Amino acid sequence: MPTPLIHDDPVALGPYRLIARLGSGGMGTVYVARSSGGRTVALKTMHAAIATDPAARTRFRLEADAARVIGDRFGARVVDADALAETPWLATEYVLGPPLDEAVEAAGPLPEQSVRALGAALCSALGQLHRSDVVHRDLKPSNILVTAYGPKVIDFGIARAIGDDRLTRAGAAVGTPAFMSPEQATGQEHDAGGDVFALAGVLVYAATGHGPFGHGQAADLLYRVRYAEADLSGVPAALAPVLAQCLAKEPGARPTTAYLAAQLHDGKGEFADHLPHELLADIGRRAADVWRLVPQRLPAPVAGPEVMAGTTAAGRRRSRRGVLALGGALAVGAAAGGGAWWWQERTPARGGGGTRTKSSTHRTQNIEPLWTYTVDVVVTAELGAVVPQALGGMIVVPTGGGSQGVSSASGARKWDSYSEESSWQTLVAGGRLYRLSIGEETSDGIGAAVTLQTVDPKNGKTIKTLARFAGTNDELPTHQLLCVTDRVAYVVVGKGKNDGTGAFSVGETDALGAADLETGKLLWSKPLPVRFELSSRLHFLAAKAVGSRLVTLQEVKDGTVRIVVRDASTGAVLWERPYGIDEPDVLRGGIAADSDHLYLGGSRLWALRLSDGAVTWKTSTEHVHGPPVLKAGILYAVGGGVGLTAVDARSGKVLWTERGGEVSEASTAWPPVLGTRYAYYKNGTLLRAISLSSHTTSLTYQTSGRQFYADADAKLVLGVDSQNLTAYPLQ
Amino acid sequence: MRAPDTGPGTRGTRQIGPYTVVTRLDTGSPAHTPVPEHRFIARSADGDRTVLLSSPLATVDPQRFMAEADTSRYLLGSWVLPAVELAAPGEQAWHARPYLPALPLPIALAVHGGPLPERTVRALAIALAENLAVMHGQNLIHAGVSPSAVLIAADGPRLTCFGAVRAAAPDGVARQEVPGLDPGTLPPEQAAGGQPRPLGDVYALGATLAYAATGYTMPEREELPSALRSLVARCLSRDPAQRPQLSEIIDELAGSDRPDIPAGFGPPTRADALLGPGWLPARLVAAIVHQSASVLAAEVELPVQAQAHPAWPVGSAPSQAPVPHHSH
Repeated sequence: MPTPLIHDDPVALGPYRLIARLGSGGMGTVYVARSSGGRTVALKTMHAAIATDPAARTRFRLEADAARVIGDRFGARVVDADALAETPWLATEYVLGPPLDEAVEAAGPLPEQSVRALGAALCSALGQLHRSDVVHRDLKPSNILVTAYGPKVIDFGIARAIGDDRLTRAGAAVGTPAFMSPEQATGQEHDAGGDVFALAGVLVYAATGHGPFGHGQAADLLYRVRYAEADLSGVPAALAPVLAQCLAKEPGARPTTAYLAAQLHDGKGEFADHLPHELLADIGRRAADVWRLVPQRLPAPVAGPEVMAGTTAAGRRRSRRGVLALGGALAVGAAAGGGAWWWQERTPARGGGGTRTKSSTHRTQNIEPLWTYTVDVVVTAELGAVVPQALGGMIVVPTGGGSQGVSSASGARKWDSYSEESSWQTLVAGGRLYRLSIGEETSDGIGAAVTLQTVDPKNGKTIKTLARFAGTNDELPTHQLLCVTDRVAYVVVGKGKNDGTGAFSVGETDALGAADLETGKLLWSKPLPVRFELSSRLHFLAAKAVGSRLVTLQEVKDGTVRIVVRDASTGAVLWERPYGIDEPDVLRGGIAADSDHLYLGGSRLWALRLSDGAVTWKTSTEHVHGPPVLKAGILYAVGGGVGLTAVDARSGKVLWTERGGEVSEASTAWPPVLGTRYAYYKNGTLLRAISLSSHTTSLTYQTSGRQFYADADAKLVLGVDSQNLTAYPLQ
Repeated sequence: MRAPDTGPGTRGTRQIGPYTVVTRLDTGSPAHTPVPEHRFIARSADGDRTVLLSSPLATVDPQRFMAEADTSRYLLGSWVLPAVELAAPGEQAWHARPYLPALPLPIALAVHGGPLPERTVRALAIALAENLAVMHGQNLIHAGVSPSAVLIAADGPRLTCFGAVRAAAPDGVARQEVPGLDPGTLPPEQAAGGQPRPLGDVYALGATLAYAATGYTMPEREELPSALRSLVARCLSRDPAQRPQLSEIIDELAGSDRPDIPAGFGPPTRADALLGPGWLPARLVAAIVHQSASVLAAEVELPVQAQAHPAWPVGSAPSQAPVPHHSH
């Protein structure tokens, strides 16, 4: 979604006033902009510094030409362009539809009929380009916008006329490894047949959520593109042979776009008829949301950020975890989530594992964070939230293939663990850092048993292995470390083969178990229901051991969330009831409970008796309440349109609500973070500190965070988004 | 100020209040479905705000029209579009609210090629009934429910034309054959000049649902889907006392779709349970998106005084209404 302009964005480019940012990358920025007659466009710019290179300017002009060749049926209509301006710009229609990668991440792999309709339409698009003697050369999911009327191919940054090699010298982009043709991978001519190869890869991705050659480091991908058989697992049976033909290594063996279109679809019906409901609903939402866009510009920061680049190349590593079959794509999507649908992959690869920015300020409004740590390997927020764990002056951040240790004082990275010590399932409890980790390599390569370890937060090394879960397969991405008491760890472990199609594999069986920290013995184990393989969340959204009970929020097969309370000593279900919410992700912020009651948000705040699940009280006002957090007998939650609300946990009586602040953008998607003086929550693009004594906004911080955690020892509020860990003072 | 022409039948190429008309909302609506007001998609002089703008028919008393618009500012509920900006006293009558991509129900039927599926009609029925119940709780009677008053947005319906019956003719005056009022949705007691009461809204709702399900406000009984048959018939009783209460309509149509109580972060109403993905036929979603895309792309020649950098020399501003460009 669009984000506000920043202070040094221009006011206008050509006749277009800038309204908001859609995304930016190494080459330039894409804006939402408006003409004097109120026409809304997407305005793509090239950084003036890059535009000093005449070749870059030529590429920009060629891109505009290619975009015009494809026209407004299969591409974004070109409204206007100025390749000669100091900052060259290209204005196109504002397309209402997500990039294909975002669509697949949001709604899961597309059904066969959608893939067929999409493929046939893309054949027409490519056919039109090829007839005009242009090849795209960088067809990939993020370059295809799915609208209600058909796909639109965008980003012709490296398209060029067939036979034109003026721009193939060093410096020109060369495509995206995961969807590159073998001839492109070897530096040979990529012509129309190369686009067909890439198209088939895109369709494999649309049908399965993974590319035909997996993911990982560029060199490995390029090797597989050239020599490995395409991975068509999960592709519908009738489609597989058609796509296999397109993925032939030899360009001459691939079908033409016209032939492929006929194989894919009979052209009956309208495009929208072939789309899944969820995707269409998303498109409908975008069509409405664009009208809520209000021009907004962020103020200039007081001090310029000091950027420090990390040094090690964590990106070189590969994970064995099947989850990264999703993760590779999600890493792209995470950036695309900000609306960066044009240049997101053009950002120059970061040299190091992370960067941090630092600044200081004495202001009370829009304060810059203390530091920002950028995680280079993005973890799939969909499966398990990126939950930073703080202990002993270190913050342990899960990453795609392991975890990294960041100093809570400076935001500088101190260590980076990978592979044999990897797992995102880490948890701090009782002054110790626990990790659910992979076991020893086995010769047959089907994975080893999951183990539970204590870990040294200073270096990420294993201190002691506490338990081994025999018969489990550590390659399944669905394990969870739920909570740890002083004697027992509650875990989800799974058996069966990882089929790599998603979170849950077909044939996988998972169990909830309690492991004795002293003996390593499994005290009890209860089978969990089978989940459909495309589930994007693990079994449990949150869990908490409360006295003799284990309180959990569990997602079940039909996608609903249930409150399940178990006997902690036997695992037997004491009671359960539906939660009745449709946004399970908001529950990941934890569980508010005391020895007698469980406290929940929703359309009201309400309290359930832990002994039997009976409702003790409900607040009387009906509006959205975010999940509450409990402190000293008082519940704090964010109310939609209300802001921070404090409620007496015993009676449910509202004690106070925040005063004097703009609350229309108060985020109810996460519980507030409590300090001693302030409660912090997100409101619009700001993190607000609400004084617990005056009940008004005392401080605001700029934030891109989506989830917020407290590091009580280091006195930090930690904000997490898909790529950054950001620290603010906790007071 | 230019003299605006708001007569029916002319294409929108004009100024109304501070807004420039982009297009009419009801263009393409079937001729036999009356619309009780002129409705436009219009744009502010700075080009930044696009609104849904209404002005009265020539036969309607502008003061009564404005009085209803003024009351509508207080409407609560998710499925209404309260007026947020009103013409100043003495000015030509109009009111406006932020633009939301939406199709009038008659156009939705035309796009769909006929009656809407039962799931869509049930979702519409419950959403409208729930919001009418909210209105009645505010002691407000809509008195204007009709097919064209219902706009279909991607996330649910929006009820407009608040007070159209009262605006068309004052209480005590017979309202048969008043322009803009749909005879099929006009309750007999209101047609006879009676003051609109809650059960009049039930009658109009029944007729509107019949329209959504069959294409006619007064269908033959057999044309209606069996699930709606007796309910719509009861709504259309001549005797208000025979009509069902809104709560009965909701209970009968929502059936087992009642969300778990408490509703949690999700569905706060029973309509929400039915308005999830797939509630609207794919082609209707596509048509709504298309409208949004067209209005986004529409370039309107805005009045000269509003432009920071005049596109033509000051003093030569056109004296006639500006002409919008529709570029497609």
